[in-house]
Amino acid sequence: MAETITEQKLISLKINDRDVQVPPGTLLIEATRRIGTEVPSFCYYPGLSLQAACRMCLVEIEKFPKLQTACTVVATEGMVVRTNTDQVRNARKYMLEFLLTNHPLDCPVCDKGGECELQDMVFRYGADTSRFVEEKIHRPEEKWSELVYYDAPRCILCFRCVRVCDEGMDVKALGVGMRGANSVIIPNREDHLECEECGMCIDICPVGALTSGTYRYKTRPWEMEYVPTTCAHCSNGCKVTLSVRNHEIMRANNRDLSGINKDFLCVKGRFGFDFTQHKERIRQPMVRKGDKLFPASWEEAAQTAATKLKEIHAKNGADSIGFIGSNRTSNEENYLFQRLARATFGTNNVDHHRTVDYTGLISALGEGAADSLLTMDQLYHSKAVLLVGNDPTNQNPLAAWQIRTGIRHFGAKLFILHEHEIKLHRQATVFANAGERQIPAALRYLAHEEGQLAPAVVEQLVQLKAGLEAESDVAIVFGAEVSGAAIAQLVAFGSKLPGKTRYMALGDYANSRGAADMGVLPDRLPGYAHLDSAANREAFDKVWGSVISAKPGMATPQIVEAAQAGKLKALYVMGANPFAHFGTPAQGRGKLEFLVVQEMFLTDTAKVADVVFPAASAYEKDGTVTNTSGEIQLLRKGAEVMGTRTDFDLLRILSHQLERVGLGKAFHYKTAAAVFEEIRKAVPGYNVETTPLLTGSAEPTHMHVARNGHAPYDVPAGLIRSAHDTLFTTGTLTRFCTMMESLQEDEAKS
Amino acid sequence: MELSPQLATRFETLQNRYPVKRSALIPMLLYAQDEYGFISDEIIAEIARRLDLRTVQVEETLEYYSMLHRKPMGKHHVQICTNVACMLRGGTELLEQAKKRLEIGHKQTTTDGVFSLEEVECIGACTGAPAMQVNYDYFENLTPMKFDRIIEELDAGDHPAPEPVTAGALHPRDPAETPVISRRFGIKNSHKIDVYLQHDGYKALEKALKEMTPESIIDEVKKSSLRGRGGAGFPTGMKWSFVPKDTTKPKYVICNADESEPGTCKDRPLMEMDPHQMIEGITIAGRAIGAKTGFIYIRGEYRYVLDIVQGALDEAYSRNYLGKNILGSGFDFDLIVHTGAGAYECGEESALMESLEGKRGYPRIKPPFPAVVGLYGCPTIINNVETLSTVPAIILEGGEKYASRGTPKNGGTRLLCVAGHVNKPGIYEVPLGMNMKKFIYETAGGIPNGKKLKAVIPGGSSCPLLSASEIDLPMDYDSVAKAGSMLGSGGMVVMDEDTCMVDMARRIMHFYAHESCGWCIPCREGTTWLRKMLDRFHAGYGRPEDIDLVGDLAKNMLGRTFCPLGDAAALPTISIVQKWRNEFEQHLSGRCPYKSAEALVGSR
Repeated sequence: MAETITEQKLISLKINDRDVQVPPGTLLIEATRRIGTEVPSFCYYPGLSLQAACRMCLVEIEKFPKLQTACTVVATEGMVVRTNTDQVRNARKYMLEFLLTNHPLDCPVCDKGGECELQDMVFRYGADTSRFVEEKIHRPEEKWSELVYYDAPRCILCFRCVRVCDEGMDVKALGVGMRGANSVIIPNREDHLECEECGMCIDICPVGALTSGTYRYKTRPWEMEYVPTTCAHCSNGCKVTLSVRNHEIMRANNRDLSGINKDFLCVKGRFGFDFTQHKERIRQPMVRKGDKLFPASWEEAAQTAATKLKEIHAKNGADSIGFIGSNRTSNEENYLFQRLARATFGTNNVDHHRTVDYTGLISALGEGAADSLLTMDQLYHSKAVLLVGNDPTNQNPLAAWQIRTGIRHFGAKLFILHEHEIKLHRQATVFANAGERQIPAALRYLAHEEGQLAPAVVEQLVQLKAGLEAESDVAIVFGAEVSGAAIAQLVAFGSKLPGKTRYMALGDYANSRGAADMGVLPDRLPGYAHLDSAANREAFDKVWGSVISAKPGMATPQIVEAAQAGKLKALYVMGANPFAHFGTPAQGRGKLEFLVVQEMFLTDTAKVADVVFPAASAYEKDGTVTNTSGEIQLLRKGAEVMGTRTDFDLLRILSHQLERVGLGKAFHYKTAAAVFEEIRKAVPGYNVETTPLLTGSAEPTHMHVARNGHAPYDVPAGLIRSAHDTLFTTGTLTRFCTMMESLQEDEAKS
Repeated sequence: MELSPQLATRFETLQNRYPVKRSALIPMLLYAQDEYGFISDEIIAEIARRLDLRTVQVEETLEYYSMLHRKPMGKHHVQICTNVACMLRGGTELLEQAKKRLEIGHKQTTTDGVFSLEEVECIGACTGAPAMQVNYDYFENLTPMKFDRIIEELDAGDHPAPEPVTAGALHPRDPAETPVISRRFGIKNSHKIDVYLQHDGYKALEKALKEMTPESIIDEVKKSSLRGRGGAGFPTGMKWSFVPKDTTKPKYVICNADESEPGTCKDRPLMEMDPHQMIEGITIAGRAIGAKTGFIYIRGEYRYVLDIVQGALDEAYSRNYLGKNILGSGFDFDLIVHTGAGAYECGEESALMESLEGKRGYPRIKPPFPAVVGLYGCPTIINNVETLSTVPAIILEGGEKYASRGTPKNGGTRLLCVAGHVNKPGIYEVPLGMNMKKFIYETAGGIPNGKKLKAVIPGGSSCPLLSASEIDLPMDYDSVAKAGSMLGSGGMVVMDEDTCMVDMARRIMHFYAHESCGWCIPCREGTTWLRKMLDRFHAGYGRPEDIDLVGDLAKNMLGRTFCPLGDAAALPTISIVQKWRNEFEQHLSGRCPYKSAEALVGSR
């Protein structure tokens, strides 16, 4: 639990003869940890309800006749506590001896061996002999789902799994069965746990009772390296620690509780990494000959791409070429990608699949954006949250976790405006159902009390509004249902609420926000700088040595339509699959003359390309990404897949080839970090401290854009498209996750 | 699933009975089991649907309670008690006889599905030991012949008559007795409201409502120096005064009728023969703390008692001693009767509240105490049946008068059940402070067959045992505590010189290991370890170091468990190892020196 430092009076107490000062309400176990004294525990887990079940944290408190559990006693003024007396040590020793009576000592074959809390505790506090000579209780191992296995004899009944599933996830897939020494954890009997498969239960298990279907019996913890990076899936940007052996990812978790998500990860973050090793990964460049793609050398592929692009550029002009960027490549790659389009080719025909309207939000807030955007931590600490659209449980699991946890820890209130019921409505104080596609109209009503709405809807909106007006510092979170002018209405409403209202737009993919921030947009330069401002263009021209066109380019749907119609001659795609989602999918590339794709797999788009470059995934590269709340985090290379190159490398290679054939300047950055240095200087809002990034924290950007008389931003219908991901999908990545696919099959069966 | 009309109606009633729906879970499971013989997956799904629960939530509750079965039981489910009181009078031998006769083992069903057998823990028939239940019917004072006859009748499709009343509750009054709460025992139809009204019934309630304020009720109870009769002996008036007055939350009164301390069977006749006295007491308690709703949590085994209490509630409602505007006083009070389903731990007040909320009977972290945060998170007082049944007498005759019956700080009378090796096992109401030796040798008629007394459990199996030389003392809370034991629940079990104390320690530990809820490590693992070790030791496979180990483990459970159940298991064990260490040493020879004597007990 994060603590807020306020001017409150501190409590003074003595722990092991040391004077300690703690805020009122601090539990003794936390107070002892504050001075670096370990009071051992199994069942105590910060943020979850108290149990006092394991009795490991018994300590001596003066004036108490019996030992007390440090996890339930609140520090009071003048309290005298001892954590290391003979009596306390003795109690711990017996507790562990009791615990081991029914615990199998199968550590050599247990997945948890080497990182087991019980092992560590016995090592530190246990007896050196065993007096138990009776028969242990035996039970067979159970498979609860593709992901979760339960070994009852190893279970020490700390109830962490039950609590994290119930309190943390609001899923309640686990319970406690039987009684006494026969007690076991039991799963929901409906099909395969009937849960969100987040694996939090496995992660939180202090022993090897709950093990993971993807990791069990594969390796020993000490054989792996641990690489902290950022999750490759949704836009929430959870920090994830990859456990890597021989360049291969064996497991993903975040056990050190660092980063914006602490130990939270959803199913994709925890299990969705096996795409890296999928047999269909593209591992070499390919060039089309006739109607087939053939493996080619790097030289051949790069030369073919550069030569043909140069030819089309010379023949048909800069605007005959389109660029579709990615939601999952790094900031550095996105930045270079739009530089390639704008500086090397001279066109603004550059866009990406936009899943929420970040541009709209930044524009609507104008200069105010710098301090009005909500971070994930602020969302957790918000006393009141208004959620408009989106289904965070499925699409933005960390945001949902932050909201639920805030409600649990601080009694936060949740207000929802939606088109239909979503799981979070169980926690909502007010749930207003606007009806299909009526959210913009409802927002207009909230902002200005205008518009024709059904009386029943109005009644709910009045209630919603009254509730929100009684709160202050409201956090507003919204999805793709709100875009363009509707965001302006939302901000107009939000700005009338008491206190400081902050906003978060919920996009879909790992670097959706970074793509928009880096100017992979037809009408905005990096940092959402308006293209029609000469000063903005000149600022980047100075950095790139280019002349950026003032003519806005086409957006993704138009680019794809124009490509299929042959109006665009060449299309360059990086980490995207536009022919599957835009234009007329059945037409494929249509009349497009030349198509270059940087991809991990042969997607519908890559299949019809002329040149395909094998790209590395986010887990195979260094760089930065920006999550949906505008917080920058590091990507660190964990895995390595033979034959692939990062998109950063691919763009560099191409830029050199293009320079050789006489188009533009080659990119001379040696590392992604060098690009990031340029971004920090050139892109407003990105001049963040790098030290926190290097230590695994997130740094919020302070993005803002001067209005300069621009009208409220509006977007054509169809431009902002949520992928409506579920917990088990993030486009191409999860289609090539064997585990994720098997879970979806299970879902379909149930 | 399609339910029978009766069950569907029962479900509807239960679902709408409680402030929180989930509270209906355990009764629903039990009534469903009564109809179908066991709890099927379909019933789980149906109940989950009706209560908006996930199936795992239903299952975790049902797996906790020993009366709920997931496999079909026989048409006649024979449950034989072998706990201490029954064991001393041949319960173990009876179980062996049943196994042979029915040709099935513990928790098994005959192939024709007519009989199933289960060795059960104390069923609250200690003064009628040895005893058994067939389904919900009680059969007490069993002999091998009586047992065979009952089985034959059942096998023939007849319905042998169960005991009409708790054995040992009715007997000629002993001169030492001062009947206050048991004064209506033996009067014909004493459980009916008309009879109750003829014998001062509901006069105390009328007085409390019309002549007294909530404060003066609490004062009167304080003056009576009434202390909790459930076992802990906490001053009742003080408990009531802890309930916050300025709260917007509803307040509740709970009557703890989960009597299950081995050796104790005094609440059962109180409810069976005088349910209105208890109802009156609860209602007065409700008035005193400002509650509008009360609950009577009756252990599941006492189903016939539950039916009697439900009948009494219906009568009380019809005469406006319950319900809206009671006796025109403006005071509203509703009383709900609730059933448990087999769990000793639910006698612990906070575990009982969890159970009443439809959950596993896990105790809660204290503080907060129930008076502040209790049932459904609201201020709650919870008292034992006997405690609440005493309240009408206190209100009627005044606290001081009631207190004058006992010793200072130990006011009034107590129901004592005395079982085991005595000539007149039974339930006697005596003033607090009566001499224990006198009680055993005079009131209870002394030890049968001229044997010598060896040991006494003074108030339920959770108390340290007293040896023959320690029993010349007044039976009040403080004197028994000074002797190193507890007055506890009033369930006294007497052992003669032929009793094997290792076997006694073994059987006591079996009970606590069976009833440990599993929440905390020392109790969950400690009781099971001790059970296994004592089994081995008594079977003749003990090692010299085991004697110290038993004591050492028990001492290291003591005071470190989540709730008092761990202490309850440790205390008698420590006392037995300490006082009868020689018997442990005798067992090291490889056999139990009392084995032959035990076999003789079986022939009684």
